Amino acid sequence: MHGANTTPILEARNVSKNFGKFKALQNVSTNFMPGTLTAIIGPNGAGKSTFFNVLSGAFPPSSGQILFNGKDITGLQQHEFARIGISKSFQITNVFKQLSVHENVRVAAQMEVARYNFFRNAQSYPKPIEIADELLHRVNLEQLRNKKTGDLAHGQQRALEIAMALACNPSLLLLDEPTAGMSPEETLVMMELIRTLASERTVILVEHKMKLIMGLCKRIIVLHHGEFLAEGTPEEIQNNAEVRRVYLGQG
Amino acid sequence: MNSFFQLIARHRVLASTLFLAVFPFIMPYEALAINILIFGLFAMGFNLLFGYMGLLSFGHAAFLGIGSYLTGIGIVHYGMPWGYAILIGIVGAALGGLIMGYLAIRTRGIYFSMVTLALGQIVYYIFYKAESLTGGENGLRGVRVDEFNVLGIPVDFLNPLVKYYVILFFVVLAIWLISRILSSPLGAVMEAIRENEKRAAACGFDVARTKLLVFVLSAAICGLAGSLRALHLSIVPIDSLHYLQSGQAVMMSILGGMGTFFGPFIGAAVMLYLEDIVTTFTKHWMAVVGLVFMFFVLFFPKGIWGTILSKLQINQDSK
Amino acid sequence: MTGLTFELLCMQLLTGIALGSIYALLALGLCLIFGMLNVVNFAHGAFFMVGAFLGVYFLGITGSFWFSLVLTPLLTGGIGLLTERFLVRPLYGRGLDYPLLLTFGLSYVLIEVMRVTFGIEGLPSVTPEGLGGTVNVGIGYFPKYRLFLIAATAVIILGVWFLIQKTRYGLIIKAGAADQEIVKVLGVDIAKVWLLVFGLGCAIAGLSGILASPTRSVNPEMGIPILAESFVVTVVGGMGSPVGAVVAGLLVGMVYSMTSLFFPDLAELSIFVLMAVVLLIRPQGLFGKAGAMG
Repeated sequence: MHGANTTPILEARNVSKNFGKFKALQNVSTNFMPGTLTAIIGPNGAGKSTFFNVLSGAFPPSSGQILFNGKDITGLQQHEFARIGISKSFQITNVFKQLSVHENVRVAAQMEVARYNFFRNAQSYPKPIEIADELLHRVNLEQLRNKKTGDLAHGQQRALEIAMALACNPSLLLLDEPTAGMSPEETLVMMELIRTLASERTVILVEHKMKLIMGLCKRIIVLHHGEFLAEGTPEEIQNNAEVRRVYLGQG
Repeated sequence: MNSFFQLIARHRVLASTLFLAVFPFIMPYEALAINILIFGLFAMGFNLLFGYMGLLSFGHAAFLGIGSYLTGIGIVHYGMPWGYAILIGIVGAALGGLIMGYLAIRTRGIYFSMVTLALGQIVYYIFYKAESLTGGENGLRGVRVDEFNVLGIPVDFLNPLVKYYVILFFVVLAIWLISRILSSPLGAVMEAIRENEKRAAACGFDVARTKLLVFVLSAAICGLAGSLRALHLSIVPIDSLHYLQSGQAVMMSILGGMGTFFGPFIGAAVMLYLEDIVTTFTKHWMAVVGLVFMFFVLFFPKGIWGTILSKLQINQDSK
Repeated sequence: MTGLTFELLCMQLLTGIALGSIYALLALGLCLIFGMLNVVNFAHGAFFMVGAFLGVYFLGITGSFWFSLVLTPLLTGGIGLLTERFLVRPLYGRGLDYPLLLTFGLSYVLIEVMRVTFGIEGLPSVTPEGLGGTVNVGIGYFPKYRLFLIAATAVIILGVWFLIQKTRYGLIIKAGAADQEIVKVLGVDIAKVWLLVFGLGCAIAGLSGILASPTRSVNPEMGIPILAESFVVTVVGGMGSPVGAVVAGLLVGMVYSMTSLFFPDLAELSIFVLMAVVLLIRPQGLFGKAGAMG
């Protein structure tokens, strides 16, 4: 679970992000060790989403650096993040609505194999199809493989998105509120999936649901007003006076 | 009925070829059939970018025009054999696509339509002003294809039916290429980007580069349509380059069904056939086009073929 | 180039400002519609053309330019209201391209309607009484009408600015452009705002048309190049920026004018080349926000 090396898989150094005059993130520094499962929490407006977006490559920070396995990746584009092994799922489900469930994952898996080939038939590449089959089985969607994604239930779409995020075999997986809008049953299933994923790769989670995180993660980072507030184990965070004050008993 | 549609979807190139082979016999005259061939190809090339990638370009007439003019100039001013002339038409259009695409893709969404329209006008003005080569306002005249031999058999290009089949040869090649593109990994990425750019990028696809690649392919196909048009008409009218010509490709795609394989051709056929009929009893064709187009945008956005397909609930892709 | 004097350059610049004033006004109308409704009005050039025709027509039958000047934008605005309410509004859920496509089709209809109503030759353009002739502006004699043009568009642009920045309606328009949800929550009927803004945009286009009519030939096709030129101004100024629209409009007018002094053949091309250069080095336009484009 823990690598023999001590290089963090992901590091944020003095990351700030401004939108015009609004300071969404101010000088946030932290790092994530390989093989860990970390949650980022904070009250509304804490900057969780912005921090997630900067870490996952949606946009670059206004200042500061992001390092991946020690290498500076600040300013790389979204698709470059994916290619070096950082994958994500979005807060609002982003899938390919007009394509079938299987096609969604197959296209996602195509990245490694034959991105720009415009002559060979896509079906003649076995690897993406195999990967898609395997991942759909994993998230329990293989029965629905030919269904149009737009027709799926909400929880199923989110499961599909996780499958797509896994298609490029990332070493680092970032999930933005993966259980948003899910029923309690669906949430339990997702939690199990995340627990299994965390045993294979590094996972970083943004979440609102406190009970979920407390049971799931060994390390929690708390943001507040765009700044780093605290970090620690669930017990440490629960007993942290600052955190309690800021949260006022949420969750 | 369902299985018929599945059959032609699975063998779409063959189905198109067979249908187009007999097409001139169901049209009132060959020139109309040839026109439909050429503009069908134009619309198909355009549809690659619009229907399958979701990028609404209003500058595609530039590629039709570049193809026409370069082919025409090659033949008229440099005495090129027509085969080579077609080739430079395609290459020139592809280059134009590279430049226009590079500039236009820096913009997003709706801006893209505005920018491509304006960039297309640059090409229009350039060709308009280069009078000595292009004939300016009067267009380029005298694009002649002399009699040639295929495997020892003389081919009289001036015979309308023969002309149709020569042009059909190239159109079928292009249709085959388009079909390969759509079934390829690139085709899947194209549709992914159309459906959700953010997700496509998060999966590792370089969205900007893919857009540019498809822009160039689309431009090359429209360039071929232009080259063929120059050979067909023997002249190249300056209006080939105007944004209203681009608008015609848009209309044909919507009419027939954007994002479908047969849609653009059907749109071209319907539009040109309708024009042929309507212009015999009114000169207000422009109003008719505008009204029909608005009607489709409001009530049948999937177009003729798209609506038929969705009614039958068939998966439009052939596997 | 004989006779190239400082005076000549200034006069040409002034001509450019007159031309640019029309561009600025047109682009402003386009910008309002885009900023509020996220719709690119591909019929903008056609509305300009309709405005020119109606302006000349009413001037002809009433003899009063001022009456024409008020009535024309009301009429084109009215057509705009009908367009938004019945043709554009049904398309809002569907995807950003559809209203654009619809207005494109509408432009075809408008052009043909004007052909039928006024003939394919168009109408002879008329300079209103009292605004004809030239005026000594110190460096030379400049057409009085063009001075009026500059002044009138400045007044109108200031009026629109005042409307947007200083009135309650303007506040709603600005807020609505930024966040439609908030405006709805505040109890404002957003549909009515869309309706009025689209109408206002078309009214401005029609106004540009009547104002421009004495300076060019009034025919059904006159709006076709105008559409392309308004897009150039919009790209140069920055999509969604009213300030950009006005500044770029004046800039484009001046570029056109100065180029036609030195390289008359390349005047039309020059403004498109300007746009291409802007796209290369600053794709969001002079006043656009980075990230909105490019």
